[in-house]
Amino acid sequence: MSVSLATSSLPPAAGPASDPGASASQLPVKCQIRNVGFHYGKFHALKNVSLPLHDRRVTAFIGPSGCGKSTLLRILNRIYELYPGQLATGEVLVDGENILAPGLDLNLVRAKIGMVFQKPTPFPMSIHDNIAFGIKLYERLPKSEMDDRVESALRRAALWDEVKDKLKQSGLGLSGGQQQRLCIARAIAVEPEILLLDEPASALDPISTQRIEELIAELKSDYCIAIVTHNMQQAARSSDYTAFMYLGELIEFDETERIFTRPQQKRTEDYITGRFG
Amino acid sequence: MQLYDRRRLTNRVVVGLSLAATAFGLLFLVFVLATLLKNGVGALSITLFSQATPPPGSQGGLINAIFGSVAMTAIATLVGTPTGILAGTFLAEYAHGSRLGEFVRFINDILLSAPSIIVGLFVYTILVVPMGHFSAWAGSVALAIIMIPVIVRTTEDMLTLVPNTLREAAAALGAPKWKIVVTVIYRSAVQGMLTGVLLAVARISGETAPLLFTALNNQFWSTDLNRPMANLPVVIFQFAMSPYVDWQTLAWAGALLITAAILVLNVGARLFASWSGLEK
Amino acid sequence: MAAEAEMVAIPQAAARRRPAGHAGDAVFHGLTVFFALLVLTILGGVIASLVWGALPALRKFGFGFIANGAWNPVTENFGALAPIYGTLVTSLIAMLIGIPVAFGVALFITELCPKWLKRPLGTMIELLAAIPSIIYGIWGLFVLAPFIQEYVEPALIGTIGKVPGVGALFAGPPLGIGVLTAGFILAIMVLPFIASVMRDVFETVPPMLKESAYGIGATTTEVMWRVVLPFTRIGVVGGILLGLGRALGETMAVTFVIGNSHHVHASILQPGTTISAALANEFTEAVGDLYQSSLIALGLILFVITFIVLAAAKLMLLRLQKGAGA
Repeated sequence: MSVSLATSSLPPAAGPASDPGASASQLPVKCQIRNVGFHYGKFHALKNVSLPLHDRRVTAFIGPSGCGKSTLLRILNRIYELYPGQLATGEVLVDGENILAPGLDLNLVRAKIGMVFQKPTPFPMSIHDNIAFGIKLYERLPKSEMDDRVESALRRAALWDEVKDKLKQSGLGLSGGQQQRLCIARAIAVEPEILLLDEPASALDPISTQRIEELIAELKSDYCIAIVTHNMQQAARSSDYTAFMYLGELIEFDETERIFTRPQQKRTEDYITGRFG
Repeated sequence: MQLYDRRRLTNRVVVGLSLAATAFGLLFLVFVLATLLKNGVGALSITLFSQATPPPGSQGGLINAIFGSVAMTAIATLVGTPTGILAGTFLAEYAHGSRLGEFVRFINDILLSAPSIIVGLFVYTILVVPMGHFSAWAGSVALAIIMIPVIVRTTEDMLTLVPNTLREAAAALGAPKWKIVVTVIYRSAVQGMLTGVLLAVARISGETAPLLFTALNNQFWSTDLNRPMANLPVVIFQFAMSPYVDWQTLAWAGALLITAAILVLNVGARLFASWSGLEK
Repeated sequence: MAAEAEMVAIPQAAARRRPAGHAGDAVFHGLTVFFALLVLTILGGVIASLVWGALPALRKFGFGFIANGAWNPVTENFGALAPIYGTLVTSLIAMLIGIPVAFGVALFITELCPKWLKRPLGTMIELLAAIPSIIYGIWGLFVLAPFIQEYVEPALIGTIGKVPGVGALFAGPPLGIGVLTAGFILAIMVLPFIASVMRDVFETVPPMLKESAYGIGATTTEVMWRVVLPFTRIGVVGGILLGLGRALGETMAVTFVIGNSHHVHASILQPGTTISAALANEFTEAVGDLYQSSLIALGLILFVITFIVLAAAKLMLLRLQKGAGA
C-alpha cells in the first residue's frame, strides 16, 4: 500500500515544479497528510495541506509565527481534541490507515505517534517513574524488565550517564536540557513509530540545543521524525525534507537542500533570506 | 497656595486615619489573644485532659468535649475531603465553560458563605428528626457540609493552576483522562490541595452553630456516635453564659484550646505552602 | 518490500498493547459529576427543608409574620419583626464601622506600608478572620461589654444622648450588652474579610496607572480616591457585600452580647435579638410545632436575605473578572 502511495502521483505538494522526484519515491512514506484543514472555532487556520512524511527521515516545518506549523503537528496525534471547538478535516494516513477517522482508539493512535513539546514537561515524579509512566499504560512488566526498558530509553535519549545514579530523584530537579531529553526518553519509551517535535530546543540554551540536534540525528535511524522549528539554520542542518508554510497554507515542500539553495516559490525565498518573519 | 495646603492636610489626616485603622485592627487581635491567654492559661492543667465536664460548682475537665470535637472533625474531614476534591475536579477538568459548571460554582460559593446555623437546621431536619435523637453523626455531617465548599474552591483553584502542557504531555503518551488527572495532575497540585484541606479543618474547628441542633452536648464521657456528643464550642457556649465561675473558667480554657489549634493549623498550612512552593 | 514489512509490524505491536482504560474514564467522570451534583443537592435540600419546616408558621401567620413585633411562646403568637430588625441594625452598625476601617487597613497595606511589613500584616489580618465567632463571643461578653458599659455608653448617653431626635438612638441605662455592642463585635469580625478583598482588588490596579497619578503630584489620598477606587469599585462593592453576608448570618458572637430580648427599641444601647441569636438560644427548647416552625421560618427569612446579598456579591465579582477594572 505504501509503495503505491509513494509512486502514485503525490497530491502536488506545492508549486508546479517541486515534485519530490525520483529519489524520494524509493523511501517508504510513513505518514501521508492529505487535504488537511483545521478550524479554531470560526478561524480557518489550515487550508488544504498535503505532504508526505518519509520514514527514517526528518521533515522540518518552517514558517513565520502563526503560519500553522504547530497546528499541523498537533493534528498528527490528535492532541487538539483535548480542547472543545477545534476541528480537523481531511485525512492523515499512517501506514495506510486514516488516523483522523472517528471510532479509532485515540490512546492507541497516540501510542504510535509520540510528541515532545516546546517547554520541557517532566511529570512530578521520579525520573524512573517518568519513563515508566508511558510503558505502564500498555504493558505489565516485571520490575527488572521495566528497569531495563527505562535504561534503554534513557540511553537512546543520551541521558543515561547523567542520571543513572539518581533515578529515584524527581524529574523536576534536572536542568532544562536534561528535562527535555527526559521528555524525549519518555516519548520513545512507549516505542512509537513517528516522533513529533514541536520546537524542542527553543526554550534551551545553545549547548543543550546542540545536544538535542545530535540526538535527533541519531534517532532518525529508528523513527519517522517531524520537527517544527523557528530556527532556519536548525532546519537546514538537521532535516532531510523541509516544508515551508505561510498563513495556513503549504507553500513549498522539497528536499531540504533544494529548499535552501534553489527555492521554487518567491515567498519561500523571501522567508529564507530573511526578508520577513 | 491655599488649595495645596488643604490637599496636604487632607492627605495627612487620611493617612493618619488609615494608620489608626490598622493599629485598631491589630490592637483587637492582640487584645483578644491576650485575654484568652490570661484567662485560659490559669485553667490549663492535667485535669483538663483527664476529667469530663463537671456539674456546676465542682471541679472537672474537658476531655469529653475534646474527644467529641476531634472525633467529629475527623469524620467530617473523611467525608468532606473526597467529596470536595472530586467536585472541585469536576469544575477544573470537566466543566470548561459549561453552564452546569458555572452553576455549580455559583451554588458552591453561596454555600461557602451561608450562615452555618442554617446548615445546622438542615441537618436537624434530615437526620435528627428521622433518627429521633441528636447524635455525633449528625454533627459530623453538618461540619462536613460546611467543609465541602471550601475544599471545592481550593481544589478547583489549585488544579487550574497546573499548566496545560502537563496534561498534553500525558495525553500524548496515550494516557486516558482519569489516569492523567489522578497520577499527574493531583500529584502536581497536591501541596495546594492539602493546604486547602488544612484550612477547611481550621474553619470547622471553631464552628458552634451547626452543632447546636445536631450533636447538642453531653455532660458525660461518651464515645457513642449515635448519641449526643460533647464538643468544645457548645460547652464553651453553655459554660460561658452560665453564672458559675468554675464553668466560666473551663470555658476560657476551652476557648484557648480551640484558638491554639486553629492558629497552629492556619500558620502550619501557610508554612507548608511556602515551604513546598520554595522546594520546587 | 519495506511496505509489507511495515504492514506486518503493526498487528504485532497492537497485539502486545492493551487498551488504556476507557471504563476508567467513564467511572471517574461519573464520580466527579456525582459529587458536583451533590453540592447542588445540598443547597436544594437546605432550601427545601427550610420551606417545609416553615410552612406551618407561614400558613398560620401569613405575611404579617414579618411585621409582627410580638414573640410569645405561651399564647403562640410569633412575629419576626424584632429578630429581623436586630439582624439589620447590627449588620448596619457593623458595616458603618467596618467599611471605613477596612478601607484604612487596605490603604495602609497597599500604599503606605514598608515592604517588610506587608506579609506579616497580611497574615495578621487573616488570623483575625480565622478566629471563630465563639471566641469573639466569649471575649465580647467578659471584656468588651463591661468596657462599653463603663466608659462608652455613659459617654454616648451624656453627649449625643442629649441631642433631641438623634438622642433617642442613645437613650436608656448603660447595660453593656445590647445592639451596639453586638454591632461593634460584628464590625471587628467582618473587618478582616472586607480588608482582604479590598487589598486583593487594590493590588490588581496596574502600577503604571498609579504612577502616572503620583507623577503629576497627586497625594496618596487623591490617588486612592480618584484612581484606585474608581478602577476597583465593582470589586470593592463585591467585597462589602460579602462582608455584609457574613455579618447577617453571624451567630455566636452576637448571641453572647445582644441580650436576647424580642423587642424593638429605638435606642441601640438596649438589648435586642437577631434571627441567628434567636435560633441559637431557643431552638433546642422550643416546645410545640408552631414555636419550632416559627423559628425555622426565621431561618428561611435569614437564608433569603443572605442569598440575595451573596448572589449580588458574586455577580459583581464575576463582572470584575470578565471586564477587569471597570
